Amino acid sequence: MKLWLGLALLAGPLAAQSARARLEGRVPGAAVPALDSLVQRAVAEGLPTEPLIQKALEGGAKQVTAPRIVAAVQLSLGQLRAARDLLIRAGDEPPVTPGEVTTVAWALRRDLPAPVVERVVAALPRPPRASAMHAVADLAAHRFDPDSAADLIIAAIGRGLVRERLLDVSAAAAHELQRGHTHAEALALVRQALPNVPASPKPTRSAVARARRPAAPPP
Amino acid sequence: MNAIDPRIHQVLDGELAPGALSAELRRSVERLVTAVALLAAPLPLPSLEPRVMALIRRPVPSRARRLLRWLATPRSVTFRVRPVWSLAFAAVVAMLTLVPIGHEGPDIGEHEGIAQFVGRFPGAQSVHVVGSFNDWRPGSIALEDVDQDGLWRATVVLPTGAYEYMFVVDGERWVPDHLAERLVSDEFGRENSIVIVRPARR
Amino acid sequence: MDVTGASSDAEVVARVLGGDREAFGLVVRRYEAGLLRFAARMLGSRDAAADAVAESFVRAYRHLASCREPTRLRTWLYRIVANRCKSHLARRPIADVSLDEAPPVADPSDTEVALERAEQLALVRRALVRLSPEKREAFLLKHVEGLSYEEMAAVTGERIPTLKMRVHRAREALLQVLEDHE
Repeated sequence: MKLWLGLALLAGPLAAQSARARLEGRVPGAAVPALDSLVQRAVAEGLPTEPLIQKALEGGAKQVTAPRIVAAVQLSLGQLRAARDLLIRAGDEPPVTPGEVTTVAWALRRDLPAPVVERVVAALPRPPRASAMHAVADLAAHRFDPDSAADLIIAAIGRGLVRERLLDVSAAAAHELQRGHTHAEALALVRQALPNVPASPKPTRSAVARARRPAAPPP
Repeated sequence: MNAIDPRIHQVLDGELAPGALSAELRRSVERLVTAVALLAAPLPLPSLEPRVMALIRRPVPSRARRLLRWLATPRSVTFRVRPVWSLAFAAVVAMLTLVPIGHEGPDIGEHEGIAQFVGRFPGAQSVHVVGSFNDWRPGSIALEDVDQDGLWRATVVLPTGAYEYMFVVDGERWVPDHLAERLVSDEFGRENSIVIVRPARR
Repeated sequence: MDVTGASSDAEVVARVLGGDREAFGLVVRRYEAGLLRFAARMLGSRDAAADAVAESFVRAYRHLASCREPTRLRTWLYRIVANRCKSHLARRPIADVSLDEAPPVADPSDTEVALERAEQLALVRRALVRLSPEKREAFLLKHVEGLSYEEMAAVTGERIPTLKMRVHRAREALLQVLEDHE
């Protein structure tokens, strides 16, 4: 997640000029001025711009009309604002870290209730919180009650698990569901096992050997 | 949604005789009972027994094969050992699993990991994965169907983090990854899948 | 064994755990119709249901030793299928259902009745799809699969008052749809 933080820090000063450069030719021309203006607004408010640019690029790639792209980016800006406000309510000192705004926006998009997201933020006073958020959202996606999901991840944090290991906790609970346990039983079993939940396997040697980097974009 | 007369619930829960209801309430009960009867009709599906028993009868790999498979699948385990031994163990595991003998594959940085994309698209001419890891640029990450069996794969080195993506089949058909367990609305009427790339070196 | 000579679930489980793998076929034959119907109504797709139930049976076979009460095998199987359906739905929310099912009618030549029943079934299925997975599950387990509230609690892990409320809400929603289309 350090890379996201790095990108977010760079985004501010360079955003204005780089947004146009990245969007031109990739989104309908009619959308560029409005999109540029939304990015500028994000810069002015200290919000991350990368999610907005990505949403615009996505709309362009999916050949969506200009008004719909602008509407989607406007929605994204609203989500980032809501995320920033939540972080401040949960105790983060302004200006909040852009990377954390992105993380919380994502958690809300994945349908985690705001009070649950606040609890997780408060339980992890120092960023990064991305793995914890995704772990809770993963549990909620498997129909675990979001509050109970947050309880489990917060308990795991209390037992010394950090970052990606929190994703192993949610994977372990989902696995217990697959084995036929109820949601309540699955949570109890995993909580009992903390901190010794199975780790996800590292990539195999053959996977590493096969791995390729994405092709460079055309100049 | 309107609440209904609680006596309807009582009849359906077997706590009250239908005769205790007015004609109109009895009609509501009958509507639900008819609906249930329609839903309860058995489905014309072939028996699963042959399929299930075939899977169950599949030979369990011998102990030697299972051991070999276990050894070949790197995993991390929590041991309570003296630090010096755990370091030595970790070094051995790292050597066996992360340092390819010979020079195959890319050098994976500290903040990079591997994402494996798989999809079944029989008859497709091309499949790409497009997402926030490549600026939604179609064409930069192509999957391959090496065995020509309709199963397309790509293994990609990416910076660690969470990304949204979709598959693009034959350059035009956008399809979510049905094997991905995380989905999120793309705000354009479809759903993106989410992949979380973990550090390859742990 | 009961009076008809059929082995009880507990007897069959004991045989399978004792090494008689083929006896598991009895479990499949005994419960597949109900489990398939339940899964199909939950997922809105017969194909997805067949996959889900087949995988559930295989998983049940592999974990049979952890079925703590073989006399409640049926409940245990429904729990495995219910969890599988919920995970499936979490990944893939149900799409609209198609008019692809005609329920069996007494006289196959009476096509008008068959068509009407098919349309009614499609209406009911659409109404079911609009329910949340929890309410849909509760309604199906109670009314279509005929489980008691105690059995439903064992399947879902939810408290009985919660299940009753879900069933009540589901009935209200379905009745609304049925009465709107009269």
